[in-house]
Amino acid sequence: MQNDIAANSVKAQSKTGLNTNLKRLYSQRYLQAMALPGIVWMIIFCYIPLVWIVIAFKEYDIVKPIWSVPWVGFTHFTDFFKDEQFLTVIRNTFGISLLRLAAGFPAPIIFALLLNEIRLVRFKKLVQTVSYLPHFLSWVILGGIVTPWLSDTGFITNALFNLHIIPEQALLLGEPKYFWQIAVISDIWKELGWSAIIYIAAIAGISPALYEAATVDGAGRFRKIWYITLPCIKGTIAILFVLAVGSIMNTNFDQILVLRNSLNRSSSTVLDIFVYHMGIQSGRFSYATAIGLIRSVVSLSLLLLANSVTKKLTDSSLF
Amino acid sequence: MRKSSKSRLRSIELFDIINMLFAISVCFLTLYPMWFTVVNAFNDGTDALRGGIYWWPRVFTINNFKAVFGTNNIIDSFFVSVARTGLGTVTHVFLTAMVSYALSKRDLMGRKAYLVIGTITLFFGGGLIPTFLLIKTLGLYDNFLVYIIPTMFSFYELLIFQAFFREIPVSLEESARMDGANDFIIFLKVIIPLSKPVLATIALFVGVSHWNDYFMGVVYILNAKLLPIQTYLYKIIALSGFDEIRMTAPDFVGGKQVTSQSMKYSTMILTTLPIIAVYPFLQKYFVKGMLIGSIKG
Amino acid sequence: MKRKDIMKVLAILMVSVLLSMPFSGCTATKKGNDTTNTSTSAAKSTTEKQEESSQPDTANEPAWKKDTSPITLDWYCNYSWQLSGDAWQKTKVGQYVTEKTGVSINFIAPAGNETEKLNTMIVSNSLPDLLTGDSTDPLFRKIMESGLAYSLNELADKYDPYFYKVIDKDVFAWHKAEDGNSYGYANWAYGPESLTRYPNAIEGTTTFLVRKDIYEAIGSPDMRTQEGFLNALKAAREKYPKINGQPIIPLGFHDFGDSGCRSIWMGTFFKSLLSEYLAQPKARDGKITDRLTDPDMVNWIKTLRDANEMGLISKEVFIDKDAQIREKVAQGRYFALMYQRSDMIAQNTALYQTNPDSAYIAIDPPSNTKLDKCTITVGGLQGWCITLISKKCKNPERAIKYMTYRLSDEGQRDTYMGKQGETWDIIDGKEQFLPEINDLLVKDKTTFDNTIGGVYGAYQLLNFIKSKTWEAPQVEPNKQVWDWTLDKTICEPQFDDLIPLPSSEEGIIDTKISNKWGAVLPKLILAKSAAEFDTLFNQFITERNAAGYDKLMAAWQKKYEENKAKLGLK
Repeated sequence: MQNDIAANSVKAQSKTGLNTNLKRLYSQRYLQAMALPGIVWMIIFCYIPLVWIVIAFKEYDIVKPIWSVPWVGFTHFTDFFKDEQFLTVIRNTFGISLLRLAAGFPAPIIFALLLNEIRLVRFKKLVQTVSYLPHFLSWVILGGIVTPWLSDTGFITNALFNLHIIPEQALLLGEPKYFWQIAVISDIWKELGWSAIIYIAAIAGISPALYEAATVDGAGRFRKIWYITLPCIKGTIAILFVLAVGSIMNTNFDQILVLRNSLNRSSSTVLDIFVYHMGIQSGRFSYATAIGLIRSVVSLSLLLLANSVTKKLTDSSLF
Repeated sequence: MRKSSKSRLRSIELFDIINMLFAISVCFLTLYPMWFTVVNAFNDGTDALRGGIYWWPRVFTINNFKAVFGTNNIIDSFFVSVARTGLGTVTHVFLTAMVSYALSKRDLMGRKAYLVIGTITLFFGGGLIPTFLLIKTLGLYDNFLVYIIPTMFSFYELLIFQAFFREIPVSLEESARMDGANDFIIFLKVIIPLSKPVLATIALFVGVSHWNDYFMGVVYILNAKLLPIQTYLYKIIALSGFDEIRMTAPDFVGGKQVTSQSMKYSTMILTTLPIIAVYPFLQKYFVKGMLIGSIKG
Repeated sequence: MKRKDIMKVLAILMVSVLLSMPFSGCTATKKGNDTTNTSTSAAKSTTEKQEESSQPDTANEPAWKKDTSPITLDWYCNYSWQLSGDAWQKTKVGQYVTEKTGVSINFIAPAGNETEKLNTMIVSNSLPDLLTGDSTDPLFRKIMESGLAYSLNELADKYDPYFYKVIDKDVFAWHKAEDGNSYGYANWAYGPESLTRYPNAIEGTTTFLVRKDIYEAIGSPDMRTQEGFLNALKAAREKYPKINGQPIIPLGFHDFGDSGCRSIWMGTFFKSLLSEYLAQPKARDGKITDRLTDPDMVNWIKTLRDANEMGLISKEVFIDKDAQIREKVAQGRYFALMYQRSDMIAQNTALYQTNPDSAYIAIDPPSNTKLDKCTITVGGLQGWCITLISKKCKNPERAIKYMTYRLSDEGQRDTYMGKQGETWDIIDGKEQFLPEINDLLVKDKTTFDNTIGGVYGAYQLLNFIKSKTWEAPQVEPNKQVWDWTLDKTICEPQFDDLIPLPSSEEGIIDTKISNKWGAVLPKLILAKSAAEFDTLFNQFITERNAAGYDKLMAAWQKKYEENKAKLGLK
């Protein structure tokens, strides 16, 4: 008897549960309709092509249809791990990306904050407009500009030598030990203004009333930045940080290709270059796809990790 | 940090000066590459082979620009780019913002699932070949819409929009709801006006990437009249590169000549100019504060 | 490169043919004596052709004349610099061809990553009517091997037997597949027969160059021996430490890439400039040789190390890319260059015009211990581009007829020159461009390409030997360099195309070894002592062998023997 009652109440509960859900769904119908196009789009344009990933487990030959090509299981993956360049490639990729994260992530934020402190509106606009210009130039051109500056008689080399930052006036691009720094700093130079735009926009969204209230309370400039500006753009920073961590395995292919040469190879061979040479140029599609798959899995894991860490620290995150 | 008003005044000034100097040097450093490009674009290609042109053209010429305009379809390409950028940006920003707003509501049913679906797309993709097959199957091959539909949405930007939407006080939405608005109307009448900075920013990013893209024209378009300007200019540069490879002595007489290198500079200027022209109009959204009449609590 | 070789051969061929033709009068000019005998056969076949084509309605007439209804063919050319769409179609040459044959061409070009575009077309089963690409391109090889293209001989047999009259039979036979059919036809190809028939006629691209003024100032020394070489570099630097305020670079090379340096040694089999300087034989006693470990080669790379120790190698040569190297050539900053002459024509001309003595001249390069003359490999039956008719062609009959037209003498002239009277005429007894057209060609190549469309506009099926008829002769400073190569060229098609497909097992070994070499070469030159050099080099050889070098050599040997059989060599 008790079982029956229990069973009946469970049934009744699930019925109301279903009803509640349907009711909720109906109350959200506009929102669901708004979300739907995005989901459908992703299924069509992202998931359908995703089926192709299966060639990572096959030995794909472009002239043959995909189903007739043999399965090779995890061969490509093990080939990659066994490749003698594997450690170098991973080390360089992570090295450059982590350095870029450490230096290149805060840079646009600091720049946006400093820009915000400038009171002459015209000047502020001018600096902002000029600062993003290098973003539009290709690395081919920027590489051509920067390479002579880094030669043994170049002006950057001279300056660094005179400031005792480097021991001798050497061809900087020919030294593997300087490559990571050169890559990161030149990247900051190119992207600083552009990356700052989003932070400037975020700062623009902060209510001036908050600042006025703080002035009344006697807060100085730096206090305002620390207690108002930064917390208000915390959400933006958190999201961009998590996304940046997620792209640690990517590097700027165009840039590396331009700055890389026979002398700095040991520091400049990154994953993108490796895939380009071994995979694409040699026509080894399956191999390239397998490496891409590894990269995706690692990036996703890093992203999720960064997301939970950021959530704990700043109470805002990607998800 | 209690300081006497006198010393506070002084410290403000010192910081301001340093900040200004810093801003000016950033200006120089970032302006120079563009200046270098302009100077080289106006310099004769052959003379430029010798290098050393840093501040001013040595042998002035407008041939590098003429070479670009001297070809057939450049006007068509320009209009294709404008149409694509305009239409593509508006549809993309609107759709992505709308979906993002919906997904920003934590009580949306299936939200977690949607987010998972989206996140996977950030990292896993099929690559060029399956995408190409899909485009063909959908009938978008050699069709202007190939620039619009497959680029209409970005989960990456959805996440950025979310950060902004979550900052908007719920009370604003609730008061609109009390006036009888549904979610969609709320989105249009309340959220969008308040999100101008982020909308402008994303619009800028999307617009620029549409304007700069040359790859789609290469792979998905056959009809030369549907090529955007970047693909078109890219081809011109590649074309002149061939000239240099197979130039024999009688073909090439020194003097005013355009090289593929010098054309890279002039095309770079031409493609960047429209963006620099449009940007000031968007900039006002970044400089003004937006949240009018904020509500406490 | 190969195309230049053929051009020279054909110039001689054409001139000698003209001299021996009946209507041009007496052939017994003193200059023409030697060539008349060898070219009478050529003359005969040309006159035969002419007679045949003027006879109406025989099986020996090109079939395109019978059907000149309008048709548009889509032609994919796997080069990013190809004029696409109807750009060529709209030129004077393009229009003239359409007027004559009814065929309009819609070009499809990748403009960017070439491989991607071709891949997408293969996979989606949408290859266009005609395709042209590098004859060694693995994708093109795949297309031909997988039955995705029509067999040209079958099409010719069926629709246009005249095709056989306009092709070079050796070239056609060379590109035969295993089933005996030929699926593509290559341009810029010719056989060793041409080389022996016209000695000293074909030019090469491998050169060793020095700046004329500096070279003469140090006494024009012999740089063929290691001593002479090092002493010359040293003397040049002492006498001219700076060029226009910048330090002199005593020795220049091609760029150092991932698989090595083309000037010294690159990859595993590829001919390098140094290998040609040393006249290294590619096979001995029927077996492929290991040229890298040959004492001459090793000693000369060691000499480069010595040069570095003497401070004669500027570190920038290791990091300069093509663009930077050309810039420095244009500035005249190098004393000596291990460089291909074809890569610096523009720069050398510019230098010559500023100051003739500052231009670069070709001299005898570092040589082997026997001081043999260097051997410059040219041409070959492999050719540069190969053209196919895909199985998806909408009208293979018209396609093969169009190909015949293009390959015929008439087609060659039409596509190179255009319409007589409109763009060219017979001036001073020679077929030449009209003065204003020639002016345009010389002064504004881009406009010429876009409006006239001649010369190389129709490169795909251009008969480069024939086109020498219409080309202007070489002028200084490039003339001396060009002429220097003439007596050193050899043609060895049996060594063509030995490289295995990069995705095959041997191909993967090849890539691995090439990569290792690319990493070790700069280290060898920068080594601090001869002992360190030896250690590094021996270590490389060990690693090379461990990676499967013998498998690679076996693959080469196999292909080599197949080639020899194809050519009927022993």
